[in-house]
Amino acid sequence: MRAGSASGSGMATLTLSCRLAAHPDSRCWFVAWSPGGALLASCGGDRSVRVWGRQGESWVCRAVLDEGHQRTVRKVAWSLCGNYLASASFDATTCIWKKTPDGFECVTTLEGHENEVKSVAWSPSGSLLATCSRDKSVWIWEVDEEDEYECVSVLNSHTQDVKHVVWHPTQELLASASYDDTVKLYREEEDDWVCCTTLEGHESTVWGLAFDGAGRRLASCSDDRTVRIWSSDEQGEPGVACSSTEPSWKCICTLSGYHTRTIYDVAWCHLTGALATACGDDAIRIFEEEPLAEPQQPTFALMAHVPRAHAQDVNCVAWNPAEPGLLASCSDDGEVAFWKYQRPECC
Amino acid sequence: MPLAACSMAAAASKPDLFDGILMAEERFHGEGYQDGYAEGNRIGVTEGRIYGSLHGARIGSEVGCYLGFALTWQHLLHNCTGEKHSKKLKALESLVGMIQKFPYEDPTYDKLQEDLEKIRGKFKQVCSMLNTHPDFRIGLERSVLTF
Repeated sequence: MRAGSASGSGMATLTLSCRLAAHPDSRCWFVAWSPGGALLASCGGDRSVRVWGRQGESWVCRAVLDEGHQRTVRKVAWSLCGNYLASASFDATTCIWKKTPDGFECVTTLEGHENEVKSVAWSPSGSLLATCSRDKSVWIWEVDEEDEYECVSVLNSHTQDVKHVVWHPTQELLASASYDDTVKLYREEEDDWVCCTTLEGHESTVWGLAFDGAGRRLASCSDDRTVRIWSSDEQGEPGVACSSTEPSWKCICTLSGYHTRTIYDVAWCHLTGALATACGDDAIRIFEEEPLAEPQQPTFALMAHVPRAHAQDVNCVAWNPAEPGLLASCSDDGEVAFWKYQRPECC
Repeated sequence: MPLAACSMAAAASKPDLFDGILMAEERFHGEGYQDGYAEGNRIGVTEGRIYGSLHGARIGSEVGCYLGFALTWQHLLHNCTGEKHSKKLKALESLVGMIQKFPYEDPTYDKLQEDLEKIRGKFKQVCSMLNTHPDFRIGLERSVLTF
């Protein structure tokens, strides 16, 4: 019998509310909430994308998108308006699905990567899409009002497989994580996209990234079993003449000693500030920043830990954007689970 | 060999018959080493030159392919108007510019790999915009271009 809930330091709880066999006999690789929080998209090794909606206390499958890809679907992402879903696949393509009254329809297939596409993400402006691949490149696409996609940049900055891309919540700043142990940031400079910063520090593959709600901090998680928090120092260093307006990023906190295996994903709740991690030891952990710490030297406390959240590696965790405390997770066991995170009522 | 060292110190300037015999092995060893070192140097330089030449040719061949491709497409789209075409022409112009700025004469250029990757990235972007997917095979055999 699997433990459904556990409290970490005796202060907060993470309780299971529903478990689905989302991608039976396969792995579930990723889950993503729609912008309004009403739907959850999942994708997996069975080459399909499924969309789940609430029905009473549980979740039911509202749509199955299974004609788009020839191989595993590794990531899905909702557009900002919630009308489109992008799916990134090992078949080297990215499909764009449009929501219709009957379900979803594939409107475009983006090609160009030489091999497995590992991630896809929509920019906060809604007009750009980023993809990354095992071919070590990050591609940026622009979409116009007629749903036409055009490649605006191919960035070869990483030296190895790029695992994940994520956009800053408000600015057109892109972050990527790679097997080369680094995180890179990109922005547009004079009509061309360039890599403006490289964050070094992790000792192994960086698997996941998450910006905080304000976009001032970035969390990264790695095969080195740590989570690092990076902060952009917008004021610049005192006493140093600043010729550029580039914010400089540096690591202000490292969470180590909590995870016993590779950390595959990290999610930062924009409503509560809680940090969730998905780990290869089958567990989900929730961290929160200590309120009295210095902003540039924060400390995070482990608030909840469910040691056997899934039967196998947890691949992804995602906070619902509208309902505080609602967390979705998925695993190599093919299942999707929904959790309720509750902080203590006092203080 | 402390004994040899002492005798060398004692008879520093006079060519000593005994010295010659005693030190023969060491001297031949030293001379042999010098000869070998010089020979190895010469062979190394030759090998390095061949390797450099091959590697340089490979890069030149690749970049040359991109340049030819870009110039051809610029010519093909030369008279086309419209925003879509102007974006393509802009990207082609950017690719040609990067290739022309590349310092072919300087193998010690510190941003060589970085600039090459930028050229490759721009080429891929252009191919995507033009919806052509050339399949280059660069090597010692004849290059094959397919479209």
